[in-house]
Amino acid sequence: MPGLTRQEAETYLYYAMEIGEAMLLCGAEVGRVEDSIRRICMAYGARRVDVFTITSSIVTTVYGDEFLSCTQTRRVSSMKNNLSMLGDLNRLSREICEWRLSPEEIAARLKVIQSVPGYPFSVQVMLYAVISAAFCVFFGGSWEDMLVSAAIGVCLKLAESFLQKGSSNPLLIALLCAAAGGLLSNLAVSAGPGDSADSISIGNIMLLIPGMAFTNSIRDIFSKDMITGLVRFVEAVVLAIAIALGFTFANFL
Amino acid sequence: MRELLQLLTACIGALGFALLYNTRGVNALLAAVGGFLGWAAFLGARRLWGPNDYIGGFAASVMLTVYAECMARIRKTPVTVFLVSGAIPLVPGASLYRAMKYLTAGNGQMFREQSAYALLFAASMSAGIMVTTIVFRLCWSFIAKDVREKKRRI
Repeated sequence: MPGLTRQEAETYLYYAMEIGEAMLLCGAEVGRVEDSIRRICMAYGARRVDVFTITSSIVTTVYGDEFLSCTQTRRVSSMKNNLSMLGDLNRLSREICEWRLSPEEIAARLKVIQSVPGYPFSVQVMLYAVISAAFCVFFGGSWEDMLVSAAIGVCLKLAESFLQKGSSNPLLIALLCAAAGGLLSNLAVSAGPGDSADSISIGNIMLLIPGMAFTNSIRDIFSKDMITGLVRFVEAVVLAIAIALGFTFANFL
Repeated sequence: MRELLQLLTACIGALGFALLYNTRGVNALLAAVGGFLGWAAFLGARRLWGPNDYIGGFAASVMLTVYAECMARIRKTPVTVFLVSGAIPLVPGASLYRAMKYLTAGNGQMFREQSAYALLFAASMSAGIMVTTIVFRLCWSFIAKDVREKKRRI
């Protein structure tokens, strides 16, 4: 296979980074992101590829025979869990390695993958209600509690999307949502329809707790991505404590 | 009755989270089955080895991880898709809430009890995921090598 020219290396590295960044945004483990970028660059004939990824940044250097090296970096700011897009991106990167798609093809495929819409807002609101109802019963709540918990779940989704317009700090949003949830559950119990504020809140708390970040952090740690694993782990624990505190603070009001 | 209810709600909860994480179609249903299997293993372990929640949590995450790794290979999608939503019922949200409640109420004794439970449960669940992933990948690499060699001989 002929070696890469500098121009080609820069183009392919750019698309490899696009895919890697999109994967990280969807909630992929760091190992998967690094592996995908390395495989894509190697498939196009790089001599050596060094990738370093943490939650907020990707750095890749490609080495080739006709040029010395080529480096690109990305700053990755936010995370939104999107597992179906992650699956699509994973499939795309496999196909790139197998068929060595042209840059235009990769760009077109990426555009298609990223334009798939998520579930509409109304469905998400319903999911919040169903999840809090399910976990309220799961942890031993009564049927009345289940209904109240579902109603508060709807309120939480509305509050969350409202707060997200004003602030991008997930810790603050979670704390405010949790406090609102705690307040509403206490109100529901004192006004009549709920049995136990604890059962209602436990149903709601499961909505906000970062289960995905927690599971991913464990997998990052054991696959030796210590920095990312620890960062995600601490993030998840701090968030979980903030949420639980938010729910209980409402008991004082 | 309570156990059946828990199994059903674990399944619904896992399905809800799978959809919230934008999983689609068959994969979302398979993720819900993961939540069901994990909690079934938890209840089964408690029947077999007595009421020890930590062993239950370990057994549940072992079961879930084996299921998720198998499904990932069958469906050719990242393991995360099945693992993350299935693990949601195993997150100790209730004891975390109670721990914080006792902390703000100034009940140190109960706070220590509940937070220790939450921590240990999370730890046993993570231990289950780690151990199973390592062992499963090791076994899989042997199987995969075996298959490749057979193909070459043919």
